[in-house]
Amino acid sequence: MWLWDRGTLQISGGFWLLTAWFVLANGVDLLAVVLAAAGTHELGHYLALRACGAGISRVRISVFGAVMETAGGPLSYRRELVTVLAGPAANLLCALAMVVAGGERWSIPVGANLVLCSFNLLPIRPLDGGRTLELLVSWAAGPAAGEWAARCVGGCTALALAAGIVFLMHCSGGSLWLLPAVIGLLGTAAGEIVGNSDFLGA
Amino acid sequence: MISRQAGRRIYTISSGHKRTKPKKTAGSRTTARQKNEPLSQREQRILLQLVACGSIFVLLVAVKLLLPGRMAQLNEHLSGLMQQNMDVQAVFSAVGRAVSGEENIGGTLEDVYQAVFKPQEGEPLETAATVEGQLQIPQALDSLRSFRTGAGGTWIGEESSSGNAAKTDQLQQTAPTEAAGQPETSTLAYVLYSDQNLPEHVSMEQAILGFDYCTPVMGTLSSNFGYREHPVEGEERFHYGIDIAADTGTAVGCFADGTVTAVGESSSYGKYLIVAHEGGYSTLYAHCSKVTASSGTSVTEGQKIAEVGETGMATGPHLHFELHRESDYLNPIYYVALG
Repeated sequence: MWLWDRGTLQISGGFWLLTAWFVLANGVDLLAVVLAAAGTHELGHYLALRACGAGISRVRISVFGAVMETAGGPLSYRRELVTVLAGPAANLLCALAMVVAGGERWSIPVGANLVLCSFNLLPIRPLDGGRTLELLVSWAAGPAAGEWAARCVGGCTALALAAGIVFLMHCSGGSLWLLPAVIGLLGTAAGEIVGNSDFLGA
Repeated sequence: MISRQAGRRIYTISSGHKRTKPKKTAGSRTTARQKNEPLSQREQRILLQLVACGSIFVLLVAVKLLLPGRMAQLNEHLSGLMQQNMDVQAVFSAVGRAVSGEENIGGTLEDVYQAVFKPQEGEPLETAATVEGQLQIPQALDSLRSFRTGAGGTWIGEESSSGNAAKTDQLQQTAPTEAAGQPETSTLAYVLYSDQNLPEHVSMEQAILGFDYCTPVMGTLSSNFGYREHPVEGEERFHYGIDIAADTGTAVGCFADGTVTAVGESSSYGKYLIVAHEGGYSTLYAHCSKVTASSGTSVTEGQKIAEVGETGMATGPHLHFELHRESDYLNPIYYVALG
């Protein structure tokens, strides 16, 4: 399963495959841009975690993105919210800084940062947006309500997104490469609605 | 008393043994079950995955065997869909431009949609617009439009001969302006013909090349060298090469050994390249989706230099192939073998 395992850093085979495909399809330059944006995102999470006094015990990188395991006890809702939102915020700040500094010259990295930021803010659960929603509702009305809200909103959003992509694919008659994304979204939606978080067997 | 006590003790010990023994076995059984259950679940899942994959495989093989024509059609359709890869870079740059205030949101959404769902069609439109802007020759565009008609090719031998003074004038007007507007010979290939005689710089002779050559793309001939009729306007115009229809992405092999002298992109030819061979011959490959050889490099016969596409003025994926000797256009049909 893990093709790179050094205790604190695990990288899955799927990630290498995805990277290889991306290089073949889009070139090394664009990979560097995307990895830099992803690095900025994770750096945001990491710095916020450190600022809250927690550390990282392990980083796992898979096809679905990077996951950090925190060392130390659970964080308070407020602190967890800050750490979750720090990633997209880092992307946003980075994009703004590049726009201010370079204007149009940096449009591709700016776009990469913004796309990553908005993607992560989707209210679907493994993503930052979904976790933010869960934390906010949990904070306001208790963990059960948070779980319920995250399930409902996440499931519906994932279903709507999948339906939208399929509709656009049907209209334009192309981009079959989005099919794995659709399948992933449907799997997530099914997991959230049915209630089994281990639905995809991941 | 003592013996009684001892007996009791023995009894209690044995009863203790009896009690503990079944406990132990029960315990070991439950732990064994606990170990077994997740394993069997996992095995079940793996088995299920295997069965699913196997049945998909069997189904596909069965469909392929029972409905070969249908399967080939589906395969073609699918590979066509796979060709349309989304243009990640264009997505990023569209979003980036929107933020830096270069473009409004509607335009950005359109760009992103274009980049994700129709990346191939977006590029030629843009380049065509810029090249047209540089040219500013409406007459040249008219002649280019006629080139789109693809079908209905007529052979030079079938042409009846009668002069047409008006068209002669038109040619004399267009040809020099085009030559001035664009240094390359590309658009000259589609000038209006003057009379029923051969246009200038066209030779119908079957020259002996004096070097080895091969067919650049195995496909079907969709348009011949020579005059062909415009279905709408009824005008006849000269087609300076042959069109070989093939799927987008099919490798284009070099006609013969030579040197790549030009790689470019134009509104009419789309992405094209010219290879110079020995003896003053050169070949042109147009409407490519991608040119893989770079200018100045030497190439060998059959080496992949480009991929078939429909860039520029094209109604479908095909290779427009021209054979030149110095500044003359020859009919390439004598040197290609098509199925």
